Amino acid sequence: MPHSILVVDDDNALREMVGIVLESEGFEVDYHDAGSGALEKFNEVKPDLVLLDVMLPGMDGIAVCEQIRAECGTPIIMLTAKTESEDVVRGLEAGADDYVVKPFEPAVLIARIKARLRPLAEPEGEIITIGPLTLDIVGHEVRRGSEKLSLTPLEFNLLLTLALKPKQVFTREMLLETVWGYHYKADTRLVNVHVQRLRSKVEEDPDNPKIVTTVRGIGYKAGQS
Amino acid sequence: MKIRAAIRWALGLFRQFLQVRAVFSTVVLSGVSLLIIGGFLSYSIGNGLYTTRVDQVLNESEKGVVEVQNSFSAATVSDEVSMQTLLNSVIPKLESTDSNNSRQVALLRTPGGTSTQVLQSPISADLDTGLITPDFRDRVRASQGKLIYQPISIVGDDGFNHPGVVVGAPIDIPLAGAYELYLVFDLNNEQQTLDFVQRTLVFAGIVLLLIIGAITYFVTNWLVRPVQEAALVSEQIAEGDLERRLPERGEDVIAKLAHSFNRMADSLQKQITKLASVSKMQQRFVSDVSHELRTPLTTIKLAGEVIFASRETLQPAARRSAELMHDQIDRFQVLLNDLLEISRYDAGAVAAELEVQDLNGVVGMAIVGLEPLARSKGSEIQISIPAGEVDAEIDGRRIERLVRNLLANAIEHGEGKPIQVAVGVNDTAVAVSVTDSGIGMTRAEVDRVFDRFWRADPARKRTTGGTGLGLAISLEDTHLHSGWLQVWAKPNEGASFRLTLPRRRGMVFTQSPLPLPPKGKTKTKKEVTAK
Repeated sequence: MPHSILVVDDDNALREMVGIVLESEGFEVDYHDAGSGALEKFNEVKPDLVLLDVMLPGMDGIAVCEQIRAECGTPIIMLTAKTESEDVVRGLEAGADDYVVKPFEPAVLIARIKARLRPLAEPEGEIITIGPLTLDIVGHEVRRGSEKLSLTPLEFNLLLTLALKPKQVFTREMLLETVWGYHYKADTRLVNVHVQRLRSKVEEDPDNPKIVTTVRGIGYKAGQS
Repeated sequence: MKIRAAIRWALGLFRQFLQVRAVFSTVVLSGVSLLIIGGFLSYSIGNGLYTTRVDQVLNESEKGVVEVQNSFSAATVSDEVSMQTLLNSVIPKLESTDSNNSRQVALLRTPGGTSTQVLQSPISADLDTGLITPDFRDRVRASQGKLIYQPISIVGDDGFNHPGVVVGAPIDIPLAGAYELYLVFDLNNEQQTLDFVQRTLVFAGIVLLLIIGAITYFVTNWLVRPVQEAALVSEQIAEGDLERRLPERGEDVIAKLAHSFNRMADSLQKQITKLASVSKMQQRFVSDVSHELRTPLTTIKLAGEVIFASRETLQPAARRSAELMHDQIDRFQVLLNDLLEISRYDAGAVAAELEVQDLNGVVGMAIVGLEPLARSKGSEIQISIPAGEVDAEIDGRRIERLVRNLLANAIEHGEGKPIQVAVGVNDTAVAVSVTDSGIGMTRAEVDRVFDRFWRADPARKRTTGGTGLGLAISLEDTHLHSGWLQVWAKPNEGASFRLTLPRRRGMVFTQSPLPLPPKGKTKTKKEVTAK
């Protein structure tokens, strides 16, 4: 069954053109043209992935992203015309998994979408513990004791990647490759922002992390050094 | 050392504070004036006292001398013993033992007298006859009956030197011949009066100086305070508190200063607010252009890619059109990116993301990116870099773009000859130089090489499709790192660009680790330094 993608963009031509590119790759595409009502459309079509423009009439893409994220962990890729740090980081902090800067190559867009939809190559039927957390790999669940933590698939993958090799220090580039599936130089801010989001969910004191720790000058690792 | 430090502190105070200077100068000048006036007063008073006293002394002496002379002249004594008795009774009457006003007497025989009668000269017990000098005695003898006096210094009862006067007159004593009568007066009384007056003058002078100092302090304080206030407010305005103003009181010159100052501050505030809003508008404009242009460009690009991907199915003319469109969309995108980048610099909206990293690696990435272009142009890229890592605190993305830019230029103008890339490092700086042996530039061309949209030769065909903004952006990137971007060029010999950056943020360097022009190039150079 083909993956379904919801494209939210107010520019008719671009929306249609993105649709043509996606459909030619075999995706099923739904459209919405404003920030307002985007959440309703999302709940109606239940897509596998959302392409979300930042500048939207009614409500901006960042607010829409927050709304969707509040309900579920469906992958969200922001379409942004700005490369200024602030805008990119704001989008990622709102819960977007990735972003694509306009104007983009169709191949890049497709690669990013596929990376987000890629089924995880994961060891089966295992339960992994990291600090006070229990990761159920099959059920995609993280628990602290009996309390279930709600992570997006991306955050789960990030945590899992670190937890599978607890002694290894991962550079941001390594994480981009394993978690995001990028084999070329990409924006390491993606990693920084998502590590922050992950910490805010799994750490008892996000300012003093014990589960995902920073190795100064290199990257991140699971557990305390 | 302590004294020197104290002097330095005092000098610092002196230089720093107008008030200290004003008080100091006033006190010094007043002090000098007081000294002159006091000296003059003290001199005239002393002189007056002395003259009066001397007149009195002479009067008394005259009276005394006449009395003594008369006593002798009128005496009817005829023998030596009664004469001696008379002498002993008359002379001591002239003595006075008041401690401050003493008068001592001596009757001395004129040497060389012919009389055989030698009387015993009565001399006051405390008198030091050494005070009556032979010189003075000569003058007395030559005075022919007139009184002669001489100021002297005598030792008083209290052991101190007192001013004094010695008066002498010749006296003729019957039977005994020529004698001289000397009266020694102690002027300590006058000296004490003078001392008292002087002490009073000094005390009054010091009090006056203190009062003058205090008055100067208060007056200057009163005048300086508004200036200090103005300085404080200027400082606050300079630090960005544009709302600060001076209070305007009265109609004097200070009020005028406050008024003008406030007007200046008003106008500054208006200008700054206006500039800030212009800058904000500029940034808004850039951001709007960014969004408005990028969205349709994205659609065009996607459409172009779709058409380009299916070009094999098109008619030859349509196919070529698809290919041209595909290339030109990329070029348009690069141009748009460059324009936006330079606008961001103009709006001051660019911040470097500095990180310690390996410059060799950054340069390597740039070379890898441009190797295909170099190969297609027939230029070999020759690399000369130090072994190991060259750590530098740089914005890797910008420096890679910068080096790519320099390389692209070198390839475009290198005429297929080898291109040298060198990396250098010293304690405080790192450097990258890119050198070609192509057509080079004239001096006039070198002057304009960093100008926007400037091309060395407008007639020359554009092959690599640069935007004309590359070097302008490179220069901005260099400024962002507080570095230098310098160029050497000579027609038909080639051109060399050298980028020098501080090794760590804030490091100061005076020399680049790499030479410009590079080895093997002529020494005549023309440098454009971007500091």
